[in-house]
Amino acid sequence: MKIIIAGPGCPRCQATEKNVRDACAELGIACEITHLYDIKEFAKLGVMLTPAVIIDDKVVISGKVPAVEELIKILSEKK
Amino acid sequence: MIIKELIFGGLDSLKDYIAFHILTCLIPAFLLAGAMVTFINRQAIISLLGEKVNKLKSFSLASIFSFFLAACSCTVIPVSSGLYYSGAAIGVAFIILWVAPASNILSLVYTGSILGSQMVIARITSAILMAFLVGFVMTLFFGKEKEELSFVREKENIKFLKTRDLIFLILILLSLLMPNYLGRNSPYIKKIIIWLIFTIIMVIYAVIFINKEKIKEWLYESWWFVKIILPLLLLGVFIVGVVGKIIPESFVRNYLGSKGIFSSFLATLIGAISYFATMTEAPFVHTLMKLGMGKGPALALLLTGPGLSLPNWLAIGRVFGFKKTLVYVPTIIILGTLIGFIFGKFIF
Repeated sequence: MKIIIAGPGCPRCQATEKNVRDACAELGIACEITHLYDIKEFAKLGVMLTPAVIIDDKVVISGKVPAVEELIKILSEKK
Repeated sequence: MIIKELIFGGLDSLKDYIAFHILTCLIPAFLLAGAMVTFINRQAIISLLGEKVNKLKSFSLASIFSFFLAACSCTVIPVSSGLYYSGAAIGVAFIILWVAPASNILSLVYTGSILGSQMVIARITSAILMAFLVGFVMTLFFGKEKEELSFVREKENIKFLKTRDLIFLILILLSLLMPNYLGRNSPYIKKIIIWLIFTIIMVIYAVIFINKEKIKEWLYESWWFVKIILPLLLLGVFIVGVVGKIIPESFVRNYLGSKGIFSSFLATLIGAISYFATMTEAPFVHTLMKLGMGKGPALALLLTGPGLSLPNWLAIGRVFGFKKTLVYVPTIIILGTLIGFIFGKFIF
């Protein structure tokens, strides 16, 4: 699974990345996680509200820091 | 000796600030900010702003809805650039870029409780006035070029705020406004009592009408604002206290106190270059005003302080390109100077 976190480097975005990593670790799935900082790239992905989480080219979270439990739910549905 | 005095100056201002603002100002402000993120559907606002309608309408929509969109300039750049690259007009993109930080709800309410309602009304009117002018200037220069990236935005037809949640937001707003307006000029204990009454009403409403998941999310988001803004705010207040000791009154009076255009220009420049986190601009301006800063320059600083900063110029340059930044920044500086000058001379 390819997961992209889009955020311009703010504390909320760092927290989002941490929660994503925690969720993946908890589920024991191997994900390719990238953190995208370039705001100009966000538009191409369709992201406007940051932080955002994109799983396999689909924006699943935008504009908030997702809780680990929420991410686990989303990730297990995708699996 | 001098250093000791400076530190004490800083601590003094911090002490006053903590004693008189935490309960009746900051806590409700953070709860309001958290509630706005949780209950207002910003995606719906954004899809409203991206619609292709005539200029007057799209400019007005952008000016009004930007109030609810973001609390600081860092969150607004992706929104503005996202809209632009998905086909919104350049004027609209830059209006959002300007209005959202320069006069977001959080800062406005806070400005009101520290500097009074006249300053808030001046701040709102001038921010919107400037927004239209900025939109117009950007359209004039760049209206023809279009750099659309091909991605399809999903059309959403959801309401951006449910009535039940709106009432809740208003109740939080009241718990923030009432202590400072009803309790103006009365002892602090009276403010606390007023705050307590409105807070209890708000909590009862939340327990009855708002579901538990949402309340959890709301508190979580509010906590984020506390973590991000509070340290900056406290640091800002401390620096303000130190600065108040360093800068002689005569200096502020001479350079920022006159009704001349130079005072407004200087204030605008300070605001446009240095970084003010959301809400820190109000105590800063408050201190300078006590030292003799004029109301016009104060307004100019309130507008450009959170709206623009050097790191912000760079970010805008990277996203929108060098040429647009070269037009945008001087436009804001010129408009800010004029607004400060005109308000200071003819309105205040």
